[in-house]
Amino acid sequence: MSRTTPRDVREVIREEPLMHRPILEAVAAGPMTVPQIAEAIGRPPREVLYWVMGMRRYGKLVTSADPDDDGYYTFTAVDGGVPS
Amino acid sequence: MDYDVLVVGSGIAGMESAIKLGDMGKKVLMVEREGSVGGRVILLSKVFPTLDCASCITTPRMAASIHHDNITPWTYTEVEAIRRNPDGTFKVKVQRKARYVDESACTGCQLCEPACTVAVPDEFNYDLIARRAAYIPFPQAVPKKAVIQREGTSPCTDTCPAGIKAHGYVSLTRSGKYEEAFQLILDATPLVGTLGRACYAPCEGECTRGDLEGTLPIRRIKRFVADRHYANYDGPNVTPDEPNGKAVAIVGSGPAGLTAAWQLARKGYRVKIFEADKEPGGFLRYALPTYRLPQEVVAQDIGNVTALGVEIAVNSPVQDLDALKLDGFDAVLLATGTPLSTSMGVPGEQLKGVLGGLDFLRDVRHGVTADMRGKKVVIVGGGNVAMDAARTARRLGAQETLVAYRRGREEMPAHKAEVDDAEAEGVKFQFLVAPVEVLGDASGKVTGLKCQRMELGQPDASGRRRPQPVKGSDFVIPCDVVVAAIGMSPDTAMFTRLLSLGEGRRIKVDPKTLQSEVSYIFAAGDVVTGPSDITQAVGHGRRAAHFIDRWLQDQPMDGFFALDDRLEVIDKAKVMARQKSFSHRDPVTLNLQHEKAPQDFHEIEPALTEEEALRGAGSCLDCGVCSECGQCVAVCPPDAIHLDAKPETFELEVGAVVLATGFQLFDAALKEDYGFGKYPNVITATQMDRQLAPTRPFNNILRPSDGRVPDRIAYVSCVGSRDKTVGNPLCSKICCMYTAKQNQLIMGALPLADVSVHYMDVRAAGKRYEEFYEQAKAMGANYIKGRVSKITELENGNLILRYEDIDNGGAITEAEYDLVVLAVGVQPNHEAEKLFPDETLHLDDFFFVNEQNDDLSPGETNLPGVFVAGAASGAKDIVDSILHAGSAVAQAASHLEKASAKKVSV
Repeated sequence: MSRTTPRDVREVIREEPLMHRPILEAVAAGPMTVPQIAEAIGRPPREVLYWVMGMRRYGKLVTSADPDDDGYYTFTAVDGGVPS
Repeated sequence: MDYDVLVVGSGIAGMESAIKLGDMGKKVLMVEREGSVGGRVILLSKVFPTLDCASCITTPRMAASIHHDNITPWTYTEVEAIRRNPDGTFKVKVQRKARYVDESACTGCQLCEPACTVAVPDEFNYDLIARRAAYIPFPQAVPKKAVIQREGTSPCTDTCPAGIKAHGYVSLTRSGKYEEAFQLILDATPLVGTLGRACYAPCEGECTRGDLEGTLPIRRIKRFVADRHYANYDGPNVTPDEPNGKAVAIVGSGPAGLTAAWQLARKGYRVKIFEADKEPGGFLRYALPTYRLPQEVVAQDIGNVTALGVEIAVNSPVQDLDALKLDGFDAVLLATGTPLSTSMGVPGEQLKGVLGGLDFLRDVRHGVTADMRGKKVVIVGGGNVAMDAARTARRLGAQETLVAYRRGREEMPAHKAEVDDAEAEGVKFQFLVAPVEVLGDASGKVTGLKCQRMELGQPDASGRRRPQPVKGSDFVIPCDVVVAAIGMSPDTAMFTRLLSLGEGRRIKVDPKTLQSEVSYIFAAGDVVTGPSDITQAVGHGRRAAHFIDRWLQDQPMDGFFALDDRLEVIDKAKVMARQKSFSHRDPVTLNLQHEKAPQDFHEIEPALTEEEALRGAGSCLDCGVCSECGQCVAVCPPDAIHLDAKPETFELEVGAVVLATGFQLFDAALKEDYGFGKYPNVITATQMDRQLAPTRPFNNILRPSDGRVPDRIAYVSCVGSRDKTVGNPLCSKICCMYTAKQNQLIMGALPLADVSVHYMDVRAAGKRYEEFYEQAKAMGANYIKGRVSKITELENGNLILRYEDIDNGGAITEAEYDLVVLAVGVQPNHEAEKLFPDETLHLDDFFFVNEQNDDLSPGETNLPGVFVAGAASGAKDIVDSILHAGSAVAQAASHLEKASAKKVSV
């Protein structure tokens, strides 16, 4: 985990629309947890959580019913696809 | 009297006050600054000590407060000032902020939210998650009506002379909505590809990101979406309105004429453009060299116009405007530009080899220019046409190209980038020189340009320092060709029978409507303004089309919101103040590799890659918040969204005032040792309450650092209360109980989780509060007595709490947790005291609203007729807030009765 001071929340959240595509491309291969998405797209898990929760809120991702053994939920694209 | 009572605030105390007063028959105006009534209570998970659902107990009151016959609820409204009248009543100034949504039409369907392209922190979830600029505050909002958060026009959009919504197409591009971005620009002008290349991008000059690392590549993003569109579509992908039976003739097919034709054709007008040249496009076609603007791009843009059925007649100069009227055109727009080169007015201009700047560029486009290989060319002038002529001469093989300008480099009217590019391509400059005579040989060919040196005097009307000749400084620049690019003027002689001309032979029109003294004739673009640039001409074309439409439809000559009466531009300082820090982003820059001796006219500026376009657009700061991308408007089923709405200010008379402005929460970041804002897994109890609520931001309780369900959770009590180091020695009263509440809810939601509470002492003063606290402990909450001195973060995001373990001998101890919750305290809300510009509302020692006698007369302030309800007068739980509101209501009702009785007796 990065020990640097987190970026300003507004700055992270502002990037959410920009991150839809890489996140949807990442989860197209199958359900992924926040750390797995973070690794796939090369961004900090903390920032990824903002983005995936925004995407979940507005209907682009769904979460698994239960967390895995490590305590993480997985995320899947609602329509199973990636943006055109 | 408009209302008996003004209630400021609609939290639990405000709603209670309004409802009770309404029940008494008082007419109440309840004002709420947010988009919904409900205050903070509606955001809670459950309430203590009953663990009743907060929504269940609050929503009936919310509904009652807005449906009550005697209550007028104004949400998204600010009280600006309350002034006392001589008779003891009050004059209240209230601003209803623009929601940009017609409340009577909005159905609360929320389709605008996912369509919105701007994400901002959701203050109703204490920044745990994003909301959109188009939003309904929370699922139980009352009224359930959307708000579009517009804090001003973004500087990029505000500065565009064409009224193109730059912020809008940037945010659409950022969202991957390239075609929508193209369509948003197309809504303003058909010249999307052209402007993506040849616009001078004033938007970039105003970009707030420019104050950080550098501007966004806004113009090139426009080109990116244009190139994308033209790669995928033949034509504009737009369906015009049904024909309306009216016809408009447009004279001239430059940017103003084409834009007006586009706008009118979309509205169902039959439009015919008359172009004197053999190809349409005007300035775009013959004055902008193809290395800047390829002709196929101009053709694609013009194709947008003709795709709508606009007829373009080339080689068709118009001499007789009456004839157009007789031919059945209901209106005529003159957009003939400034096609004439201005003469230098010196001897020798008739010599072979002296060319006008525009004539030279036009001839090059038509392929009739003489060979310049090996020749020495002098360009006279310092504007953009001069730069284009110079760079064109280089491409035609001129051995040497020299720009002679009578002022200095700083005073050149040409855009800096043009000057720099010309220099990079080998163009030389000689400043502070003015032509005196063109010299020639016996055969009449140019041999040189006699000049005199100049010096700069005082600034003239343009603000630039006026050049003055230096006596005896004449000298000769040997050359073969002289290009006079010192100015352009309109060709309007044929119109003088009907129209008056103004300065510079420009057509005189109403500056707002562009209507001439002959009602059916309008004029737009450079023929009205004199030489300008493409975006200004586009803006003029839009304006003309709008007012031609209004005039032909017998509508009032107003309503041009694209450029007039826009929302005020946002202050950049306000934009920058929204963030505590900005991380560095490498700007997308243009590093052109100029050839010192360019050989051809191929386009020199590369297109942005998709990665560059996204990276560039992703740097946008969303200055105005709403980007005006229009996606919410497009998806709104009842057409309820109107981005041209305006705030309304009212002055009202009221008999009494109840202040229910509530409290503020302590900013946990001020306790630096606890790491809030630095360590992701340190959150506040209000954030935890949102995580526990049915309308929670996440699907469960999660660690913000990585989305994991926490196993070990610690609470730290008294953060920002009972703490002199932060200026608040008071107990906040509610923290112990909401901690006990959250302990119980967490253990219900996460049965395997360990919950600890680090506390100094627990205050459970209230009905069944002690039992509630004991219940939390009985369920497994581990209460550890001792102040936490410091929190540090481990590599895995876990947190180490360092504290004094008082119950076990006072040893300094450390414990590791997955998640730490700070039980933040309550602080006064300073809004109330600002409402009275003519009087002083007394505050207590801790800056809560002071009650004159809170033992015997709770709710009474020092100002007669002004009462306080709820936590505005000090920290209170829900029950106490309701009780206190009851007292304030009784005080207000009593005041009104006394005032009424006094009036009757008088």
